[in-house]
Amino acid sequence: MSTPAATAPAALPLASSAPVTGKALSIGLAGLAVTAVGLLISSPSQVALSYLVGITYWTAIAIGTLLLILIHHITDASWSVVIRRQWEHWLASFKWLALLFLPLVLATLLYQKDVVWPWMNPAHVMHGHGTVETDILYQKKASFLNLPMFLGMTASFFAIWCWLSARLRQASFTQDTDGNPQWTQMNRKTSAFGIPLTALALSFAAIYWVKSLEYHWFSTMYGVWFFANCIRGALAVGVLIMLWLWKRGDYKGILNTNHLHSIGQLCFAFTVFWAYVTFSQYFLIWNANVPEETFWYNLRELNHDGSISQWKYVGFVILFGHFFVPFLYLLSYKHKVVHSKIKPIVIWILSIILIDLCYNILPALKDEHGDAQPFLSLNLLWVLSSVVGIGGICVWAYLKSFPTTKLIPIRDPRIEECITHHE
Amino acid sequence: MSHGSDQAVAAPAILSEVKPAVLPRPALVANNRSFSWITEKICGIIEEKTPRWWWVCFGVACFVASFTVAGLTYLVSTGVGVWGHRNPVNWAWDIVNFVFWIGIGHAGTLISAILCLLRQKWRTSINRAAEAMTIFAVVCAAIFPVFHVGRIWFALMPGYLFPFPNANYIWPNFRSPLEWDVFAVSTYGTVSVLFWYVGLLPDLAILRDRFFAAGNKFRSALYGFFAMGWRGSNRHWSNYEMAYLVLAGISTPLVLSVHTIVSFDFAVSLIPGWHTTIFPPYFVAGAIFSGFGMVLTLMLPLRAIYKLEDLITQYHIDCMCKITLATGTMVGYAYSMEFFIAWYSANPNESFAFINRAFGHYAWAYWIMITCNVITPQFFWFKKIRHNTALVWILSIFVNVGMWFERFVIIVTSLARDFLPSSWGYYSPSIVEIFTFFGTFGVFSVLFLLFIRFLPIMPMAELKAVTPAADPHAAPDHH
Repeated sequence: MSTPAATAPAALPLASSAPVTGKALSIGLAGLAVTAVGLLISSPSQVALSYLVGITYWTAIAIGTLLLILIHHITDASWSVVIRRQWEHWLASFKWLALLFLPLVLATLLYQKDVVWPWMNPAHVMHGHGTVETDILYQKKASFLNLPMFLGMTASFFAIWCWLSARLRQASFTQDTDGNPQWTQMNRKTSAFGIPLTALALSFAAIYWVKSLEYHWFSTMYGVWFFANCIRGALAVGVLIMLWLWKRGDYKGILNTNHLHSIGQLCFAFTVFWAYVTFSQYFLIWNANVPEETFWYNLRELNHDGSISQWKYVGFVILFGHFFVPFLYLLSYKHKVVHSKIKPIVIWILSIILIDLCYNILPALKDEHGDAQPFLSLNLLWVLSSVVGIGGICVWAYLKSFPTTKLIPIRDPRIEECITHHE
Repeated sequence: MSHGSDQAVAAPAILSEVKPAVLPRPALVANNRSFSWITEKICGIIEEKTPRWWWVCFGVACFVASFTVAGLTYLVSTGVGVWGHRNPVNWAWDIVNFVFWIGIGHAGTLISAILCLLRQKWRTSINRAAEAMTIFAVVCAAIFPVFHVGRIWFALMPGYLFPFPNANYIWPNFRSPLEWDVFAVSTYGTVSVLFWYVGLLPDLAILRDRFFAAGNKFRSALYGFFAMGWRGSNRHWSNYEMAYLVLAGISTPLVLSVHTIVSFDFAVSLIPGWHTTIFPPYFVAGAIFSGFGMVLTLMLPLRAIYKLEDLITQYHIDCMCKITLATGTMVGYAYSMEFFIAWYSANPNESFAFINRAFGHYAWAYWIMITCNVITPQFFWFKKIRHNTALVWILSIFVNVGMWFERFVIIVTSLARDFLPSSWGYYSPSIVEIFTFFGTFGVFSVLFLLFIRFLPIMPMAELKAVTPAADPHAAPDHH
């Protein structure tokens, strides 16, 4: 292990990521700028809803990353030590995500209360109903669905995630220099309380940010659905980083086939888990056929005038794309370990998670916005620009953190087991 | 096409800086026990003269099991009216007991298969007993759906459980998850037996050879018959490993689906408190929780009686306690989410169902459930408690009790206060139900006692594989 080969390709200089870092920032800012331009073209509410897709998408991936690190520590895993370091860098995106959430808050506070969430404005006229204020269902939930609670809870979510991230990163990075095993123990303890905290925070984030867009609707499974997407996104990002670092040369001699096989197996497992959760939710609602629950799906299948909504087909895309395609594809060993084979499927998974979030967010207000058709509408452009913009900032945060530490946690107690990882 | 770095790639410079901090993993077999010690220890349990405690336990277990026999005999000879079911509670202890036992049954295979897929080597000390527990629990569970029809010959006749046409062209309702249960549980039972049996093969062959060497031809022939000609050749091991992995791969989704279908028994309905979308994963988490509770209940006394501390180490107990804590907390999350969403839904029936659970006539049952399932596992946060074996055992009993009450609370409280206040009632079990359920612990114990007397309680080869001696690359203190 500690024998440096004379002919070994040295790890690339850490600063070699600098040009990419700059590019990521430029792309991020450009994406955000395009989204801002959207305000001049589309209604602010539509742009804000598209932006909500972007911020939820990247926050979900960051939450998944945090969870994977927490699970790594609590299970004393060894195979993932190397990739854990990259996930730790990815956690640097949380503070920027918190900052990037602010436009939605400011727009709500300063511009229009119901720019995104209708229930924030008591005078908001519900499509086909009275106002929010007079809505008995809102009145019953008002102690939970109100602006101060929303702001306080959202701030708490980000505070929890940022605090846990900072603890995990500091302990891991410091261990590189002093080699003290107590940092590993500390991270294990952080994970023990961090997992329930993160689980609660992500569940309520999903309820506040996404589910409450249609506050009449309810499902106990929603937090679990969001959790499944978080983990799938983080695994996919993890694979892409592994491949990128391999291509750069950094990971040559560090990663082996079994690392990809293991992470590929997790991608497969969580594909099944996502399908399990999503199917269970759909099936139980469909089977019971109670209007106060089925309307959420009906809204996505039918337009207000009774015609078939394009969202119905998006639902099919999700059914096949989010489950059947990755499920069948990842059954193969080769597809999990060959770089050129695993790369397209994780990109596919990342794309479908985005579509899944669009499906959960955008149709909520489609009738109110008079925008029944999801495809080829301008909304799609603002969704893409938001995703690119916020994603660029996240990648930039990652790349900025990347050169600040060793490429791998050289003093981690399980690093040797990781490098020699085998079945 | 680029693979990982299995091809010869020179090591990068950073590897020269790798200097791991020292944090040894705990030994999975303590005191550096040798291969022969493991064989002697496990086989010795079977080969020794039947100890007196075993006979005493067996006698007591048979006596307790007779309560089930008596209860069922009375039921069949008299009719289902001898149970306490009355409108509106037409489902009660029968399905409560079924779900309780099937939950434990699901957990055993789930524990064994999932830990196998996750390459958790500490499973080797508990997986055999957990799998045995599964099969015996499924036997106990099956009693209730079969006998709840009263005239059990109908249960097996066409048109009731199994889908054959009969003279009246009555078919079971295929849209009912209860019918899916018939297929799911029987498939699951079959795969669980296979999974358990495949794992037993190498150990049965060891017993065959040892009994042969000891001159006990009958037992040697018996074990030899079930060992199916196992000789431990390279090909045998290779096929065995593949078969075991495939069965683990099949078992995992199967067990998830089976317990999901059990949750569907309730969740597909419109009964407040039953119809909630989180039921499937919540039931699965509950099954793992109750399963680890039962494994601790069973294994800790065995550990003490047979002095298995070197095989079921403190690390094993720690792991089981921590998983019990994790799954108990997941169950707590589900309880909280149900309660919260019942309020958030603003549906008065849903809200009432949950408030009634917590503060109504059955509040005592609800708070027993919360205490046992949510509060009790929180004690496992503390190392001191995890290291106190007697206390862990007591807490594991609480988990078992709590999981029975969970099913009771879900099923009975919702039915007792259904949509029609004029029909509300209060269910109490009859003595026949109490006898029948009490006796199933005897049935389970009889089977488990027979298991520890006649079959190796731990997989010897797998245990040896996790000793330091089995790792040719390991440093002396590495496993």
